[in-house]
Amino acid sequence: MRERAERLAVPLGLSATVAVLIVVFYYPVGSVLADAVFSDGRMTFAPIADVLTDPFYTGAAHHLFTDPLGVPVGLVEWLLAVEFFLFGVDLPPTSIGLFGFTAYQAALSTVASVALGLPGAYLLSRYEFPGRRTVRSLTILPFVLPGIMVAVGFLAMFGRNGLFNDVIGLVGLGPVEALFTLEIVVVAHAFYNAPLVTRLVTTAWESVDRRQVETARSMGATPFRAFRDVVVPQLLPSLLTASLLTFVFTFMTFPIVLALGGLQLATVEVWLYARVQNLELAEAAALGAIETAISLGLTYLYLRYEARQVATRSAGTPLARRQLFASVRSLRDPHRLALAGYGIVVLVVFVGPLASMVVESVTGPGGQFTLDYYRFLLSQQTSSATGTTRPLPAIVNSLRFGVGTLLLALPMGIVVAVVANRDVTGSRGAEAVLSAPLAVSGIVVGLGLLQTLVFGTVILDYRITVLGPIAIVFAHAVAAYPFVTRNVAPALGELDPRLVDAARSLGASRFRSLVDIELPLVASGVVAGAAFAFAISVGEFDSTVLLAEGVDSYTMPVALERYIGNRSLGPSLGAATAMGTVLLAVTAGSFVVIDRVGGRWQP
Amino acid sequence: MERRRFLRNAGAGIVGVSALAGCRSPSGDDEGPTRTDSGNGTTTGAATTTSLGGTLRVATYSSFTGEGTAGNWLKSAFESKYPDATVEFTTPENGLNQYVQRANEGAPIDADLYVGLNTGELARADEQLDESLFQSLREDVAGTDRIKGGLDIDPEGRALPYDTGYISLVYDENEVAQPETFDALLEPEYEGDLIVQNAQQSDPGRAFLLWTILAKDVDGYLDYWQGLQDNGVTIMSDWEPAYEAYMNDEAPMIVSYSTDQVYYHGEDVDMAKHQVGFLEDQGYANPEALAMFSSASNGDLGRRFVEFVLSEEAQAEIAERNVQFPAVEGVEMSEEFERYAYEPPEPVTFTYEELAGNVSTWIEDWARQVASK
Repeated sequence: MRERAERLAVPLGLSATVAVLIVVFYYPVGSVLADAVFSDGRMTFAPIADVLTDPFYTGAAHHLFTDPLGVPVGLVEWLLAVEFFLFGVDLPPTSIGLFGFTAYQAALSTVASVALGLPGAYLLSRYEFPGRRTVRSLTILPFVLPGIMVAVGFLAMFGRNGLFNDVIGLVGLGPVEALFTLEIVVVAHAFYNAPLVTRLVTTAWESVDRRQVETARSMGATPFRAFRDVVVPQLLPSLLTASLLTFVFTFMTFPIVLALGGLQLATVEVWLYARVQNLELAEAAALGAIETAISLGLTYLYLRYEARQVATRSAGTPLARRQLFASVRSLRDPHRLALAGYGIVVLVVFVGPLASMVVESVTGPGGQFTLDYYRFLLSQQTSSATGTTRPLPAIVNSLRFGVGTLLLALPMGIVVAVVANRDVTGSRGAEAVLSAPLAVSGIVVGLGLLQTLVFGTVILDYRITVLGPIAIVFAHAVAAYPFVTRNVAPALGELDPRLVDAARSLGASRFRSLVDIELPLVASGVVAGAAFAFAISVGEFDSTVLLAEGVDSYTMPVALERYIGNRSLGPSLGAATAMGTVLLAVTAGSFVVIDRVGGRWQP
Repeated sequence: MERRRFLRNAGAGIVGVSALAGCRSPSGDDEGPTRTDSGNGTTTGAATTTSLGGTLRVATYSSFTGEGTAGNWLKSAFESKYPDATVEFTTPENGLNQYVQRANEGAPIDADLYVGLNTGELARADEQLDESLFQSLREDVAGTDRIKGGLDIDPEGRALPYDTGYISLVYDENEVAQPETFDALLEPEYEGDLIVQNAQQSDPGRAFLLWTILAKDVDGYLDYWQGLQDNGVTIMSDWEPAYEAYMNDEAPMIVSYSTDQVYYHGEDVDMAKHQVGFLEDQGYANPEALAMFSSASNGDLGRRFVEFVLSEEAQAEIAERNVQFPAVEGVEMSEEFERYAYEPPEPVTFTYEELAGNVSTWIEDWARQVASK
């Protein structure tokens, strides 16, 4: 009986995953995107064609669609436009279009995120220093912050009178007018996504087998050669995964652009949102469909690439960490000096905005120290008035949804990772389709959930609505499980297949070999995936507010959003920053706990 | 000229200070000074209507309800007037769109009243739907004759205004002199000095854009905005982050509300930073209205609620708590409010007829110009 259950575990898990996906993702999203290709029950491509042929959206590339025969000329024109844009040459009114600009800023953001994230991975995986594990746990903290809080932090840090200008003013530099520029938007995107790079690459770096490096060295390879030929190939999949995710996320960026850059730097997602607000749903669907096609296409290409990578590893000892502060002499070591420089950059880009937000939460309108905003939180907590948003239930709800999401997203993500690693034709395509939650705009998902689950679907004369805490956890898990898959799948793929074969030949079921042999070997990836799942759930806003039943299942970001509009302390974001600080503290604690608990499970 | 419609309230802002209106207690239960009911006293007489009961479901935005808000005051005051009635608030995140989409999809509408509607939203809802989402109220509700002229946003009498704000500039007089006209904002003197909000998603941002269309005509507003862009205007997403940027000295002028000083006055506040500037001596009126859904299940109670909202007592409370101006004539506000809230010499706004069928295009054309790359 048990054997049978174990034999069925993976297929059943996959079926359950697909079923959940259909209910809270494919069906809702499909109901929105269908507007792009159906009109009054008939096939049409008019909405998509309208977008593609509109120079506002596609710039000079609209010739590709309006005048296919002139394509070579059009393409050159568009590439030239991009070129001119890159070098800051003034442009005619239509050049690279909204899509071109969106891709351009996403590419810049990806480069910045890798540049800021990679040294962090090096530091965390190759050096030992007091508090390393805690720092590692906290790396994904930026991930959970609502956009408006990042905007507040960046404003206080990089504004005209911000901390950054104060500090560089001390050495006679500046002031730097950073706000409302493309640069600050790119840095803010790096703030969100560099942690993704750090976390994914650290996980991969920690599972490099030191014996492989030692073998290379004993065969005469220089340290650089050993690094290039042994370590780099094992890091590359995780680095490319992180770059892909960063590109896809920043391609669909929304709140940060308008809050820090202004409408002049609008992206496709900003337009999509305006279309939905205006209830021009066919055009919104067309924009969403094109965005999704681009994101999914990139994901598919990447997965094809990843599958061709042949790197195998077995259970091994990770590389030894060097002491960061070994001796006085080590302070002159160029590696450590470079890391010190990196430390300063981290202080400016990551710690600065977070700390600035915390400082804002205790600063009154006149610049004086105040605890009013925290008193406000307490007064909300003790108030009995209807419609009052209390901080404590928000914290409890967030933690409940977060844990629920973690418990659901882990098995979902692992099952999909197992399926993705099968060498069957189409398994890459299957994984790409199963990764779709990463590739669909949050606004489209929200609209879809509203139209289907919230409004209800009529089945046999009954209007079925899917609402409440369970629906919220399901929706969060669907958004979160691809992160588990992306953390686990590359590591699983690199495991020596003979390990599994050996276990299977000794009579272990697929499930047993997965749980007893494979997962413990990729435990650090599983723990990282769990942390991401929790982070996604805690930071989620759109589907949480839509699927909440009644007014009481609000989470921390929802409470924060409501405090933004609360004028009882005057028009100030103070109350929201206080809630943002609470959100930071609660999630920071949770990440440390997840890593510690997960760490015990690692071999 | 024909496109604009002047509001006919004679600058009551500074004049009508009354000794009766003292400081209001923050809780709605113990009433402050008693008021003489100069309006339709009969409509709010409790004795005749206490038999009405049931639950009234009110959809609104989230900051309308909660501790110390206008919504909660209305709820407790109305429930004590009608002991058998219960007011329940629901706060859909996407506002009125929730109900337009529900009507489009044939999904049930789980509310009787909608509170917090503006002219453009009403026009858009009407464009989207074949049958009106709301039912006519004006004839069935007492007190509508006291609504200030020009604030009456709906020719069909479905949406009735309950308060209004005026969009103006707020500027820091330590940094800049007050710009008197729209054209002044194009001067090099004001280069990089103005923060506005995105008209696609922000109420004051949309109001300011509409105001420029009133001032510069449909044919001229895009050129005017090109001038603003060339002069370094910053267009941020919403009012809150924009105001945060203003308070952090990113720029010395912002599009905001003429009630700014109600929040910012007193000894330790630098009032120089909270100067209200009316361009061309105008302010763009942005009335907030309420309406009853066609599908409302408790229509009688709903109409009594609307009457109560328009009563003088409720009007003063709503205006004070929302920091907006009352929508009906002759409401006495607190001394503090009268002193620090400014009404423009010449309030202007677009009417429903002018906005219907146009507002989306105007905003779209503007946004495309700003975001073109």
